[in-house]
Amino acid sequence: MTNVRLADQASSQSSNEPDRALDPVTFEVLKNAFATAVDLMSEQILRTCYSFVIYSRDFSSALCDARGNTVMQGTGDIAVHVGTLHFQCKAVLEEFSHDIHPGDVFAVNDPYRGGTHFNDVSFIRPIFSEGRVIAFAQNKGHWADIGGAVPGSFDVNAREHFGEGLRITPVRIWSKGVFLHDVAQLLVSNTRAPRQAMGDLHAQSEATAVCEREVLRLVDKYSTATVVQAMQESQDYVERIVRRSLEHLPKGVWETVDYIDFDPDKPEGLVPIRIKLTLDGKGIHYDLTGSASAVGTFLNSGYGTTHSAIYAGTKTFFPDVPLNSGFYAAVTADIGPEGTVVNAGWPYAVTGFCSGTYEKLMNGIFELWSQIMPERAMACAFNLEYLLVGGRDSRNDDAPFFMWYDWMAGGWGGRASKDGATATAPVFGPGLAVQSVEGQERLSPVLTTSHQIACDSGGPGRFRGGLGVEKGGTLTDATGPVMSYCCDRARSITWGIEGGLPSIPHGVWMNKGTDQEIFLGSNFSSVHLQPGDSFTRPSAGGGGYGDPLERPYGEVLEDVIDGYVSIGRAAADYGVVINEIDAELDEFAVDEERSRELRLQIRAQRIGWLTEDANLVAKRYRERELSLLDVIRRYGVILDWGTGELFANTTAQYRELMTRRSASHWS
Amino acid sequence: MASARVAVDVGGTFTDVCIFDEGSQHMRVTKVPSTPFDPMVAVLDGVRRAKVHLNQVNLFSHGTTVATNALITRNFPRAAMVTTRGFRDVIEIRDGTKDDLWDAYKDVSGPYIKRRDRFEVNERTNYAGNVITAVDEKEARQLAALLRKRGVTTVAVCFINSYANPQNEIKMRRILQEELPDATISASAEILPEIFEHDRFNTAVSNAVLAPLVSGYVNRLADELTKGGYEGDLLLLHSGGGSMTPRMVKRFAVRLAASGIAAGAIAARHIAQQCGYENAVGLDMGGTSTDISLISNGELRISKEWHVEYGHPIAFPSIEVLTIGAGGGSLAHIDIAGSLRNGPQSAGADPGPACYRSGGDQPTNTDANVVLNRLGTNLAGGAKILDHQAAVEAVDGVIAKPLGVSVDEAAQAILQVANANMANAVRLITIRRGYDPRDFALIAFGGAGPLHGAEVARELNIPVVVVPPSPGVTSAMGCLLVDIRHDLSAMYAALAASCDTSDLESKFQALEAEAAARLRHEGVADENCLLQRTISMRYQGQWRSLSVPIGSGVDALGQAVEVFHQLHEREFAFSQLDQPVEIYQIHLSAVGKIPKPTFVPARTLVRDPGAPREIRPVYFGREGWVATPVYERSQLPAGATFRGPVVIDQLDSTTLVPPRTSAEIDEWANIRIYITESDNSLEESK
Repeated sequence: MTNVRLADQASSQSSNEPDRALDPVTFEVLKNAFATAVDLMSEQILRTCYSFVIYSRDFSSALCDARGNTVMQGTGDIAVHVGTLHFQCKAVLEEFSHDIHPGDVFAVNDPYRGGTHFNDVSFIRPIFSEGRVIAFAQNKGHWADIGGAVPGSFDVNAREHFGEGLRITPVRIWSKGVFLHDVAQLLVSNTRAPRQAMGDLHAQSEATAVCEREVLRLVDKYSTATVVQAMQESQDYVERIVRRSLEHLPKGVWETVDYIDFDPDKPEGLVPIRIKLTLDGKGIHYDLTGSASAVGTFLNSGYGTTHSAIYAGTKTFFPDVPLNSGFYAAVTADIGPEGTVVNAGWPYAVTGFCSGTYEKLMNGIFELWSQIMPERAMACAFNLEYLLVGGRDSRNDDAPFFMWYDWMAGGWGGRASKDGATATAPVFGPGLAVQSVEGQERLSPVLTTSHQIACDSGGPGRFRGGLGVEKGGTLTDATGPVMSYCCDRARSITWGIEGGLPSIPHGVWMNKGTDQEIFLGSNFSSVHLQPGDSFTRPSAGGGGYGDPLERPYGEVLEDVIDGYVSIGRAAADYGVVINEIDAELDEFAVDEERSRELRLQIRAQRIGWLTEDANLVAKRYRERELSLLDVIRRYGVILDWGTGELFANTTAQYRELMTRRSASHWS
Repeated sequence: MASARVAVDVGGTFTDVCIFDEGSQHMRVTKVPSTPFDPMVAVLDGVRRAKVHLNQVNLFSHGTTVATNALITRNFPRAAMVTTRGFRDVIEIRDGTKDDLWDAYKDVSGPYIKRRDRFEVNERTNYAGNVITAVDEKEARQLAALLRKRGVTTVAVCFINSYANPQNEIKMRRILQEELPDATISASAEILPEIFEHDRFNTAVSNAVLAPLVSGYVNRLADELTKGGYEGDLLLLHSGGGSMTPRMVKRFAVRLAASGIAAGAIAARHIAQQCGYENAVGLDMGGTSTDISLISNGELRISKEWHVEYGHPIAFPSIEVLTIGAGGGSLAHIDIAGSLRNGPQSAGADPGPACYRSGGDQPTNTDANVVLNRLGTNLAGGAKILDHQAAVEAVDGVIAKPLGVSVDEAAQAILQVANANMANAVRLITIRRGYDPRDFALIAFGGAGPLHGAEVARELNIPVVVVPPSPGVTSAMGCLLVDIRHDLSAMYAALAASCDTSDLESKFQALEAEAAARLRHEGVADENCLLQRTISMRYQGQWRSLSVPIGSGVDALGQAVEVFHQLHEREFAFSQLDQPVEIYQIHLSAVGKIPKPTFVPARTLVRDPGAPREIRPVYFGREGWVATPVYERSQLPAGATFRGPVVIDQLDSTTLVPPRTSAEIDEWANIRIYITESDNSLEESK
């Protein structure tokens, strides 16, 4: 090995040609070794974390180079952290540039410095060789609580970050190997579970040491210069893959818009997030200008998470490409000025970005790439959702504080060649495991009454959207319980593409089926509960792909036998008339003649339904003449699902998008 | 022939019948083609061809893929699941995660029992084990009638919180048994009395769908063996590294879901013990994949996170085996960015490596080994002839030309990447457990393991490699080495500091009574029963627990807590002595000792290996082409010593002893390779 180029001369490569100093073997071996070093860090944190949210895989790990660029991100990392770790590392470099020493560890969670939300705390350890920093090991994990006004630190009503939780700008936690107890204590004392937080602080810091050990082993074996060179070449390599892949794709400009449900500071109406994608053969460029100004809830996104959505959404169409700053070099974005839903800036509240802007960007990007790579097309997936019930657990004499912090799997969109995936973790993190009901019942006084697939929740289509899940529970023994919900898409309902239909609205119902039934919507905070109150909510299914009237009878029949689709919706959504012969033996039969007639009728009428007087539709819903699914899937009308009140502006916007995504593809 | 032990290992392609003659202390192996339509045909055929008289066999053990294949192909009898109202979909919702995080077109496979065959009843038990809603007898009998009408032959009963109190589940099981006397009923808490509904339910469901088929198979085989004159019990290998008799298979069929996969690991442990290595890594490299196992302090790692397919957990303790997509048939290629890659795609058996000349034209690890003359072209005594020129062309066209290097360098590069990938996998399984590979020996076997073992070891700074006498049939030998074993457990939540130790003791004793009953049922004499208690503990508030051995008596718990702190420090690099320790579960492993074959060491007086069969040029990275002696393994005496490079050929494998190593044939006929100089890739890769 003679021609190793010095690391300091290495700069970001934009050339299409390989610029390699390392031989192919050393490069491949080191690139894979970096991946192993990062995955070892993930294994370590998974085994030692205290936060059950981290344990459910809401964490990520990265090796960054001396300039903070990501060399390798963990193979099992949560999607939502993608493309944010280098921002956090750079923030540490900016704060401490010449004051970084062996044995230091820094913490940062600042969403205004490229972080995600306050709960996601990063620990960053510099790796030294030959007296200088050659890399940083970083682990980022979601703490169960980071202070602020509400348990779990998800304050739906927050408008500014001050009440959301503790903001950690880059801060030193270990100094030259000495634990700064006072600083650590200050951080964890601002959370509701200081002991847990201290445990995670230690576990995460230890995990970065595992990565450091691996990198130093490589340095011993291959030399500092070679390892540094390989870190740069790993980035160049990824950038080259993306650019070469583009050579086989069309050039052009694609545009779409997706919506957040509402902005409480404005009149009723959907909040647009606009995405323009340009492929010019050289790179992938996004333009988000024209998106709405920041909303008066915490669903806004900071620049870090907006980039994460862009990278993760794009990566879904390049599943085999490793993640590092080479990817971020090939994918660029103009996210416009600060003060918008996609670039909120200080001090707008952003903790709920994951249910708000993030999901809209991801799914909008799916829609755009579905046109560029039609064989990998996918309709909209359900929206990430968190339900929080907190209070004191009066099952025990000392009535400890409890937090029932729950998220669900849901349906993903129908695809070009198959139905959507049923009951799957959110696109925000397909590795994010839902919790065991038995585990939850031990920890909190909530008795879960159902956790099952929601019939008819999949958006109808030639390829049906995957099904969502319904989870309901009853509060048993608690004092002072309150409930909050972080979601969206009660109005901007999970949509279909290529003629497919929407799925179902998100939203929580309290005491459903009783005199006290209330629809609380998909975004609310601190609703007071009484022991004995019940609550339930579905996760949406995925949107449908293709015209549901073209779904073969046999596939609809199978769905009916499994209870994925009801006999009623088989007729209403698919135009398939199914008669029950002996349900006990799964014997059902399609009446083909009546189905042909029904499909003809629906074909003749359905365009007209989308322009029917929305007030009349709302009235018929209130009078229980029309079902909720008819209102949405046939008429494209959006209501308050509890009271039946019409949202006229929202309906006009929703009908426009439904015309574009669904009706314009019908024959 | 005197008395013999027989072990049969059924693989996808071949069924290996391994016979250990107790008189001569000699082991031999007969290979017959597997018969997937009815695996028993190959088993009996192999026994016939091996010329074993069943009345002389005193132990017959068997690793079978019947259960694994049934799970993968969903070849099940008419099964149903009965569960708590509201929880019909637990096995379909799973934990929601995807195996492939980024590819939206790769889905997790569907549940073992379809939604249409899952039924709900009104019943509920709460977290504390209090019955909130009892099973309604009338409703239960109506459901049973419906299942009868549907022709269901096996049922899983899975109720929420049954781990805390199985009363409702047991009542439902009894009613179903009365109403469906011919059906198999699997109640979740009786199969696995542990918290977390998805793990428990899916384990019970797996048991239900497998029980009739697997139990039927082992009973048929046991009958045939008995008819042939075998007087002992048929022993079936299970995933926990032990075995059980057909009587227990009926109740715990799901434990056979990984029958056989543990056999290689067990053999690796045996070889390590024989050689005096407490710590070893088993590297079982075949054509398409490599199984890696870990032995520390003489014990194999046990894991409860195990499945045949992603998303469908089988939560019994299983020998931890990490399978990676690297084998002799792994394909080398240049990717879209111009970078050299190796695997995970494989040429498999069809079309196979280019040198097989059966349609493959892409270079594999096997081709690279042929190009460099590490692997000869005349295998298995002439049964398989490889085409050197085809291997050269594949390596040249696909790798050498695009990279602008010679064919030799390209082949060397392919192997270096393959070996480094394998080393990474070993690193994951050792370092992530807090071990240092330098303290380990590498046991290299499988058809391709002995070719790669020494270089993988060097990459990991592992000082010694052991290649067992018959690397290609090592797994079959593992089948000979197992005891009867059951793993029992119970939930037990308490703080260690305030735990009522007499209550804990009585819970352990209850498990021991159950274990003893099971072993007696299997005909194990009391003096051969070995019961080992372990206890799962964690720091209060943490989500991950560690299993710690615990004795009996008043001081046992305190000692276990100390061991827990130490283990935590070793496994996770830190411990917290001031943090309260919580007890979470108690476990009991019940072993019924089966007498093992005794291997007799050879005398190792000779040091001279004798004359090589041939001397051929072999390529090594730093040294280039070196004239290398090739020996026939069967001709080598115990005690023979070598300095690398040497190639040692045998019927089922080829061992490479590279430069800068020395080797010997030890008293157990293993080849031991000592890495005398650690790696320096900088020089090797130029």
